[in-house]
Amino acid sequence: MLALRTMFDAFKNKHGLGVACFIGFAVFFWALFLIALPQIAMLDYSFRFNLPRADIGGPSDVYTLENYAYFFRGNDGGFNALDVGILFKTLVAAVFVTIIDIMICYPIAYILAHSATGVAARLMVIGLIVPFWVNEILRAFAFRILFGATGMINGIGMEIGLWDTPIDFIRADIALYSGLTYAYILLMVFPIFNAVEALDRNQIEAARDMGASWWRVHWRVVLPIAKPGIASGATMVFMLTAGALAAPQILGGPSNLWFTQLIYQWFNESANWQRGSAYAVILLLVCIGFVTMMMRVFKVSIGEIGR
Amino acid sequence: MNKGTGGGVIAAGFSLLFFSFLFGPLIIMVITAFNSSSFPRITPWECFTTEWFAVLIGNDRLMNGLANSLFIGVGVVLISVPIGLAGALALSEMGPRLRAALYTVLITPILIPGVVLGISTIVFWGALGRGVGADYGSIFYDGMFLTLAGQVTFISAYAMLVFLARLQRFDPTLTEAALDLGASPGQAFRKILLPFLSPAIGSAAFLTFLASFENYNTTVFTILSGNTFTTTLASKVRHGTDPSLSALAVIIIAITLVGAMVHEAHTRRSQALRDGSAARSKIYGNPVLRVIVHPLCVFAILIGSISFLTYQGSQYDASVCKQQVLDEKRARQEQLLEEQRQRIKAQKEAAGATETGTSVKKSPSAFGGAFGGAAPKPVETPKSPSPFGNAFGSGTLAPKTD
Repeated sequence: MLALRTMFDAFKNKHGLGVACFIGFAVFFWALFLIALPQIAMLDYSFRFNLPRADIGGPSDVYTLENYAYFFRGNDGGFNALDVGILFKTLVAAVFVTIIDIMICYPIAYILAHSATGVAARLMVIGLIVPFWVNEILRAFAFRILFGATGMINGIGMEIGLWDTPIDFIRADIALYSGLTYAYILLMVFPIFNAVEALDRNQIEAARDMGASWWRVHWRVVLPIAKPGIASGATMVFMLTAGALAAPQILGGPSNLWFTQLIYQWFNESANWQRGSAYAVILLLVCIGFVTMMMRVFKVSIGEIGR
Repeated sequence: MNKGTGGGVIAAGFSLLFFSFLFGPLIIMVITAFNSSSFPRITPWECFTTEWFAVLIGNDRLMNGLANSLFIGVGVVLISVPIGLAGALALSEMGPRLRAALYTVLITPILIPGVVLGISTIVFWGALGRGVGADYGSIFYDGMFLTLAGQVTFISAYAMLVFLARLQRFDPTLTEAALDLGASPGQAFRKILLPFLSPAIGSAAFLTFLASFENYNTTVFTILSGNTFTTTLASKVRHGTDPSLSALAVIIIAITLVGAMVHEAHTRRSQALRDGSAARSKIYGNPVLRVIVHPLCVFAILIGSISFLTYQGSQYDASVCKQQVLDEKRARQEQLLEEQRQRIKAQKEAAGATETGTSVKKSPSAFGGAFGGAAPKPVETPKSPSPFGNAFGSGTLAPKTD
């Protein structure tokens, strides 16, 4: 309390009473009513039964673990291989997409920071940003045009005789992975770029003068500098990919669900919000747990995210 | 270029590949907007047409969603920019320990999956509404309000990041000097800090509007039974598509490119004016070129050429060509049917020849087999897209056209 009080006074002396009140109120409202309480409400909700409105708050409105138990055991009490499998597949796919994004974006970020100059660099930045002003749905739609059964790639492939029957890229999830890789490239390039840009060119030249080969220069000089940027980008790409809903809905195969689609189904098709909340909590915890674990492994802190 | 550390030919080649991956899908989508085929595709090319733009404008649900999206977008800008500013200011004044804690809290909404944010928003406000005894018509169950709340939660964090980046370059002695010279704290804030932050306010407003307009994951939950531009678009794409969406992409990309060019003209001009190289440079020294590269002029030229193209496009009539394509398709179908008939006839004769003398009972099954094997399939041959192509063409439901 005292700390808050002294801070408020510091603001008041520096920016005036009105500004201090505004800052205090806005941050309080944001942190409490928009961030903290909704998450707590969702957690609370996930431990309740799906009751008709009249019964809410009544004697039957008690806490239960039923929604979580369902995730692990399903209806028949056995192992719910379907849902757990979907969660596992989603995580693996998200990791896969993240790794591909790192591999694509690291060279581009490095080229942008240290090789491109003047007009070329400006054009590259514009070229990176412009595609991401186009709606996410439309970007997924573009991949659907490319990969559909009568799409562009099948059309050309069959035209020049590479294959006879259309390849089902959508069922094979190739369309989905390409779309997801595409969707979050920007979020990977700029953190890495910011990190690599700080590198002193002389260090690279020194390493080269000492006879290091190009991959050694990258491995020993550039990568250590880029690491916080990669971690930050990878965290964002992983979380967004695992939490993606539009791309799997549009590009995903009919029999191949993403975990967010399960949550969506509980809400919009089964009208079981409690169970949907439970699934959302599971997704959140698993993702956060995974990211924290990875941050431990690579020794980065959350304070470096978003820089 | 520095050879060996990523410069040179390899770098250029990689950049080329990278940007073709980035722009390829968009370019193809743009081209499909002008193909008259009712499923968006390039091959086979049918007719150049501009009718999909008319189809797009005629889509009431999409236009209604657009109005909702614009309303929500403006609301989000008005709320999340001040909140983001407050967050950034609070962080910039704190001690390191407290700062790290608050930073973690305020940055998490970016990392929480949008789906989870949407769910937690509707659950929380719903519970609050029940708590105060509000009914379903009240604000707690209003899709627009919930969408605003849900989007502001994480979009404010974007705005905060923009302000934090700008604040890092702020020289706090300026404020101190103002205070020493007798300005009140409020005056110092208004006259020193806010003007310094104004470019960041502009870019934060732009970023937040775009983020709000594009958002799907959170909005699809919080909008409840309503619809925004993006949710309408998504349901349209999921349930079969036509090239009017490509036409939409053309419009969005055109707006984006115009914006990018005008912005570029503006930054170059202000940069040239600031560092005093304007008088010496070839472009800004020449009075005619100087006028032409003025951002407003660039904007006017671009808008002018786009309106001209739009007018030309609206006058273009593709019906002759379409009729031709239709006729070709009909002719092809006729031909296939004719071939079919011939084949069946031949098989019939062959069957009749072999069956003379054998049991009569067997003949119906023999016929059945003949028909089953040669069922007319002109529609599904990939080379002859038919009016039914649309029904079969939409991605997930597409049958294997063999």
